[in-house]
Amino acid sequence: MKQKIQTSVIGSYPVAINTQELMNDYFTEQPSSWTPYIEQAVHDMTTAGITYVSDGQTRDPFIQLFTRKMKGCRIRERTEIIGPVRYKDPITVADQITAKRLLPRHAGLIGVLTGPFTLAKSSVDSFYHDERTLAFDFAQVLHKEAELLVKHVDFISIDEPVFSNELPEYAFELLQTITKGLSRPTRLHVCGDVSSIIPRLVDMPVDILSHEFKASPHLFDVFVEYPCKKQMCIGAVQSDDTRVESVEEIVAHVKKAITIFDENVVHIAPDCGQRLLPRDIAFQKLKNLALAGEILNER
Amino acid sequence: MFSFTKEQKVFDISGVCIGGQPGMYPTVLFGGLFFKGEPDFEDAKRHIQIFYERSKQTGVPVVPDFFIRKVEYIEPILSFIEKIIPKKQPFSLDIIEPSLKIQTLEELSSRKLLPRTIYNSLHIGMTTEEYETLQKYTPEAAILVAFNPKDKSPDGKIEVLENGAHLIENGLLKTAQTIGITKLLIDTAALAPGENSGAAIAAIPVIKEEYGLPTGCAIHNVVEKSRWLNDFPFAKKTVDVSSNTTIPLFGGDYALFGPIENTELIVPLIAWQDILISEYTENYFGISPVASHPRRKLLK
Repeated sequence: MKQKIQTSVIGSYPVAINTQELMNDYFTEQPSSWTPYIEQAVHDMTTAGITYVSDGQTRDPFIQLFTRKMKGCRIRERTEIIGPVRYKDPITVADQITAKRLLPRHAGLIGVLTGPFTLAKSSVDSFYHDERTLAFDFAQVLHKEAELLVKHVDFISIDEPVFSNELPEYAFELLQTITKGLSRPTRLHVCGDVSSIIPRLVDMPVDILSHEFKASPHLFDVFVEYPCKKQMCIGAVQSDDTRVESVEEIVAHVKKAITIFDENVVHIAPDCGQRLLPRDIAFQKLKNLALAGEILNER
Repeated sequence: MFSFTKEQKVFDISGVCIGGQPGMYPTVLFGGLFFKGEPDFEDAKRHIQIFYERSKQTGVPVVPDFFIRKVEYIEPILSFIEKIIPKKQPFSLDIIEPSLKIQTLEELSSRKLLPRTIYNSLHIGMTTEEYETLQKYTPEAAILVAFNPKDKSPDGKIEVLENGAHLIENGLLKTAQTIGITKLLIDTAALAPGENSGAAIAAIPVIKEEYGLPTGCAIHNVVEKSRWLNDFPFAKKTVDVSSNTTIPLFGGDYALFGPIENTELIVPLIAWQDILISEYTENYFGISPVASHPRRKLLK
């Protein structure tokens, strides 16, 4: 192992939104500011010692975060597609710039995108009636966003959780629509049990694959069968369990990953976004992850 | 002008009817008092008297909207209401601070004023204590402020009514219904210029078509906060007052305006607007105005 292992997050982070304060801004006719929540997320991640952080995706759940700002989408109980999906304005760029301003020198920034297939599957389509066309239109919008994001972030991470349930035959082309020509590395995060789709995932047009190896350790066994040349982000703490993994447990877990992926292990991260965890638990998990990273890099 | 396909609810709040299809019921005007804090009761008495007189003269229903800014104002303002506001008339209480709202609800209950109170307002900033107090001391009517800090468009306002926009556990409508408030008025949350302020007006027909509930807003706030209008001091008052006409024009049911000193300008203006709307909606949609409507009162 020569390359240093970097610690990273996947995307979301739990912060408490102060709705009273937002209402006070409304009553005093001040613009609503989301900066305090981005600050809280970035502060926790960097204080924990994580190298690659996100803006915390605190504004919205990861679907509405994107669809809210796209033409053709209307937010109701779910996102409704009511016209052609098109790029309107930058979606997450302003928040990423805010996050970047808060970073200490050693830290880097991830531009997180919710994947087009997950967006399509999570929407109520009242316009296209054709999932593939909708997914590709989402991908075009995400590509434009990514082109703007690469000016501010260290890499782009595409979050496609739905792939673990259904990997469309056009998945490669779909991701390529986003990643083609980008000047920064790209990461594909698919949580859930991906064991049945690993043979196809290893060929996806991204630089790094990211999966929830901690909740699904049997993935290691499947990857042994399908040699992977991709760089890997190893899920090393669970995002759906409040038990805080010890540093030793994380180190042992990542060492197992290294026996399989060797120097391709470039990132260690939580299994998924941490939005649903209590904030103190999410922080402690990141802290232990960072400490484990230090130990692993000292070898 | 238009008519809604969704059935439109009409609420009788202590004798003031609000809601319905455009042209049926007159626009209800809420006139703001004590916005700056310290109440001047003599001045207020005079303005409320004019407010009611112009209402009687024109047919435009009016509701005094009292701001309560400090705990020491609760008792004197409620005593003033008991003394000055006719027993069969509603009033509205506009309070921001949750602890003040809680104390005021207790006081309203002990004075048996809750059936006449329009609670202004429920919104995403409601605390658990306020919610529990409202369950105990429940006003019949409340204004729901559809302010969504994530999305100021009409869709964003619907989202906060429907599901709380992932900021609160439930949407404002469900929250109000769970409390037991039966007469819900939607406020489309007018914002400062540059903050998609026009969406407050655009949202009126969207929300009425979606829910059929009485809908309005405090559109004059947009004018008050406009900086560039300061360059046109003679126009500012006109723009402020006339901005209220956009509410009935877009099918809305009520306007919150302030201060109540503007009564002499706003009440006849809204009466005029209601007459025009009624003329059209009766001719085109066959919607007859109620007997108290300004069109029946002023054009005989």
